[in-house]
Amino acid sequence: MDKITISMLKKAAKAILLDMSASEYEVLAQEFDILLRQMDLIGNIKGIDDTVPMTFPFEAATSWMRPDEPVPPEPASDILKNAGTTLADQIKVPKVVG
Amino acid sequence: MAYLDLTIHEIHEALVAGKTTPRELAAEAIKRACEDQNNAFELIIDQDAMAIAESLAEPEPDNLLWGIPYVAKDNFSTKGYPTTASSNSLNGYVPLFDATVIAKLKQRKAILIGKTALDELAMGGTGTTGHRGTTYNPHDPRHERMIGGSSAGSAAAVAAAIVPFALGSDTGDSVRKPAGYAGLVGYKPSWGRISRYGLFAFAPSLDHVGVLARSVSDAAAIVEAIAGHDDLDATSAMIANPKGLPQLEGDVRGLRVAVIGEIVNSPHHPIIKSKFEEILKGLTEAGAVVERVHMRRDLLDAIYPIYITISCAEATSNDANLDGIKFGPSFWGDTYEQAMLKARTNGFSELIKRRFIIGSFALMRENRDMLFVRAQKGRRLIVEALNEIYKTHDLIIVPAAPNVAPRFVDGSDKLSEEYLIADNHLVLGNFAGLPSMTVPIGLKDGLPFGLNVMGRAFEEATVVNAALAVERLTGLKNLRAEGGVAR
Amino acid sequence: MNFEAVIGLEIHVEMKTKSKMFSPAPVTYGAAPNSATTPLDLAHPGTMPTLNRQAVVYAIRLCHALHLDIDRELWFDRKNYFYSDLPKGYQITQNDRPIGKNGYLDVKSGPGMRRIAINRLHLEEDTAMQHHYRDYTLLDYNRAGIPLVEIVSEPDIRTGAEAADYVERIRSIVTFADVSTGKMEEGSLRCDVNISLRPVGADKFGTKVEVKNINSINNVAKAVDFEIKRQTQVLLSGAAVIQETRRFDDSLKETVSMRLKTDAVDYKYFTEPNLVPIRLSEQFVAEAIAGCPELAEAKYDRYIRQIGLSEYDANMLIASRETCQYFDALVADGSNPKLAANWLNGDIAGYLNKSNLTIDDFPIDPSRMAGLLKMIETGTISNKQGRDIFEKMLTEDTAADVMAERLGLRQISDIDALRTVVAEVIAANQQSVADYLQGKERAFGYIVGQVMKKTGGKANPGLASQLVKEALSHR
Repeated sequence: MDKITISMLKKAAKAILLDMSASEYEVLAQEFDILLRQMDLIGNIKGIDDTVPMTFPFEAATSWMRPDEPVPPEPASDILKNAGTTLADQIKVPKVVG
Repeated sequence: MAYLDLTIHEIHEALVAGKTTPRELAAEAIKRACEDQNNAFELIIDQDAMAIAESLAEPEPDNLLWGIPYVAKDNFSTKGYPTTASSNSLNGYVPLFDATVIAKLKQRKAILIGKTALDELAMGGTGTTGHRGTTYNPHDPRHERMIGGSSAGSAAAVAAAIVPFALGSDTGDSVRKPAGYAGLVGYKPSWGRISRYGLFAFAPSLDHVGVLARSVSDAAAIVEAIAGHDDLDATSAMIANPKGLPQLEGDVRGLRVAVIGEIVNSPHHPIIKSKFEEILKGLTEAGAVVERVHMRRDLLDAIYPIYITISCAEATSNDANLDGIKFGPSFWGDTYEQAMLKARTNGFSELIKRRFIIGSFALMRENRDMLFVRAQKGRRLIVEALNEIYKTHDLIIVPAAPNVAPRFVDGSDKLSEEYLIADNHLVLGNFAGLPSMTVPIGLKDGLPFGLNVMGRAFEEATVVNAALAVERLTGLKNLRAEGGVAR
Repeated sequence: MNFEAVIGLEIHVEMKTKSKMFSPAPVTYGAAPNSATTPLDLAHPGTMPTLNRQAVVYAIRLCHALHLDIDRELWFDRKNYFYSDLPKGYQITQNDRPIGKNGYLDVKSGPGMRRIAINRLHLEEDTAMQHHYRDYTLLDYNRAGIPLVEIVSEPDIRTGAEAADYVERIRSIVTFADVSTGKMEEGSLRCDVNISLRPVGADKFGTKVEVKNINSINNVAKAVDFEIKRQTQVLLSGAAVIQETRRFDDSLKETVSMRLKTDAVDYKYFTEPNLVPIRLSEQFVAEAIAGCPELAEAKYDRYIRQIGLSEYDANMLIASRETCQYFDALVADGSNPKLAANWLNGDIAGYLNKSNLTIDDFPIDPSRMAGLLKMIETGTISNKQGRDIFEKMLTEDTAADVMAERLGLRQISDIDALRTVVAEVIAANQQSVADYLQGKERAFGYIVGQVMKKTGGKANPGLASQLVKEALSHR
């Protein structure tokens, strides 16, 4: 893996709509160095590339699906109670372009 | 005699016998909560709890939870009560619904008296990263020791006998590790046993609802009350829940116990090691067959990086909903992206941001195969290795931690070079979704330590049975922190 | 230099289930903003997805109609990105394992047909609605989570006409299968076009342009045709086609640049850990397929082979599911199929066109209409009389025979009564009789006309003609 640069980290942060202070990026860069070395330990596992990835803890397949029966919705006033700015029963955000 | 100091089973007897009432219990619990010096609470629910307590008139002899006060980690959705996951990004968020487990406990007439502090968004193991600051270990009145995390507040509340049980969540060891540091029983059953609907997701493929209590049968009883398939949680198991586990006898005759050599041989404090061996001897004398087994070093060394990679990656995605638009503190900006950026930059601690960036990095197209997918492959190999052990053994038993609760000055929230197998093996139970219980086995300088029992998926009975046997050997039931608060 | 167009279509279909794809909130159209949502739809923490059974049934119907291999195990993925209309910050979709793979659709190509390969059909969820104003945008989450299928073709399409026919056939399938309302104008069927040009015979693909915002099937052809023309001009001028997203402007009938397509967005896909894989039993799949209503192709075959309609009539009927349903109801009620088809494709279609209505709004229900057709078929009334009654029935909900009574429009088919009238007319028109007998054919028509006039137009024309001929042959 290539050396991690601050600009790579800034790009990764921007991609998830976060920003940090310069000193925090430094801390993160140091953490990354350690982390990538630790992740090398995964690469050290014998036979690591001969197997397939696992998402679930065990074989958990089911045949159950939700019946198509709608539930009563929340009133708009309740569902929007936690929202910042609302207008005409909708959430208001800065003009979205594109 | 404060009935609140007893186990659930004992309190229940007293309630049925009319020796105490829900009102008395709730009032005492709330009082203790208000006097809590360990920073265990996000929120104390007093009026509503008292109202419920007062409404409970006729004791229900067959309902163990009737009138029992409890607390829930503040990452369980509670209708009408602010729930923050100890993160500023959720300040002021008031849920519209109860988590399934909260609703079940409500039905059973248990009384929720508060929401407890956690490591922010459950992503930590020290109890120091929640937005209210550090939660202390009640066993150290000098406040120099951590209680671990992320279910820090829940563990502190039970250890300080504010309540006899608490709900927690366990993604990498977040119920079972603090249980060890706090002298509690920390129990997480198999993945899917307990509905996660309403538990704020950290890493769904690793997340479990867990319980903290002061006796094995208490913990087993709570799990029995809240387990079961839930139509709202597509990952909840269809397998029928075992009944009557709290009433098991702790009979371990013929039980085949595996002790992973590499884990026990890694550095542990000698007192912990010797107590652990003593317990194993006791189990052998009680009829169990205890054997050292071997687990590949390359797999064990990879446990921590696999956990970090998978959990941070899933977490980054789960917490992408925290953008200040639908809930949480909201911000304006020139564009919607700016508004979201401000909310997220403001709402998350630096630690959480670093974790998210790590997770996001691991999922990036150019890194995905080398980091995320490889970690998922590693998980499979580890689970296969565990399953190999379980072909010939019924349980894996190991010390819960290499030492008693660390001091704050010795710990750090930054990822460090030094990584110990002994400190990170509990996550094996999350990788494989296995039932796993920490039980206290001793005290060193007044600080508790425990061991962990882990069984095959959906074989909770075996785990509970063995844990009961350990409890009988140690006599350490209902261990409470006495320091700091006069009882 | 001759270029060939390489065109692929991505179609999104909104499915008409009662609840959403991963949320049990109701599916609504035109409801008051945020009046049909639950906390899950706004991605409140702790909420979890559950898969809608009926959505899977619908998807299986479509997979079968498009000859796709149906995966018996359903896996889901998260497509992660930030956007104001995406409450979770990710969309649950099927990236690695679509429910349907490797199918095809035959479309009209010139005088013949061409087979267009279909790469995949997968399940996913819709986003919230945004209403843009000058300084702000308003978000309505009613639509967030509504079930979608995405159908992706291989780039086998070559012309605007083929593209339009492909979309029309998809529309026909989803409407006849009762899976979707299939209305591009309403957004329940959405079509994005990917189009590039390359020299004829070349293997390598040219630069791909994406065209969005096409709101009708006609405009699919127009958008494609315009793009082919535009890209041809660019290439012939020696320039390179820019990789971008364009939108179709309905008023200009042209594609207009929308945004440059930079490197493809990294969606950081991974398996959705909150949805364990779902096993579809053979029985479930078979029942889903068997439960599919008759599709247009099958109806067409049945109308031609079993019912004996002409290709023209059959084609007119299958243009709309509702028209077929009306036709099938008429036939089920005992109507003569040919007569029914004539009326549906003739007078009824004429009325609907004139009044700008669809068959759903047609005021005469099938059983009443069948009653009218029965009267015509048995000769109780003439076709013309039928038309008069039809006009009245459009505004009054009355049975045909009752209306006929009221208007005094019974066709006279009583042979004896008619014979009497014929005899009277012949007696009164001796000159015409003489003309006819001398070979003037037109006199026959005149006499029959007089019989019709004497009966006030109510005589059964065929019968009158027959009786006149009989009477005259005795001379």
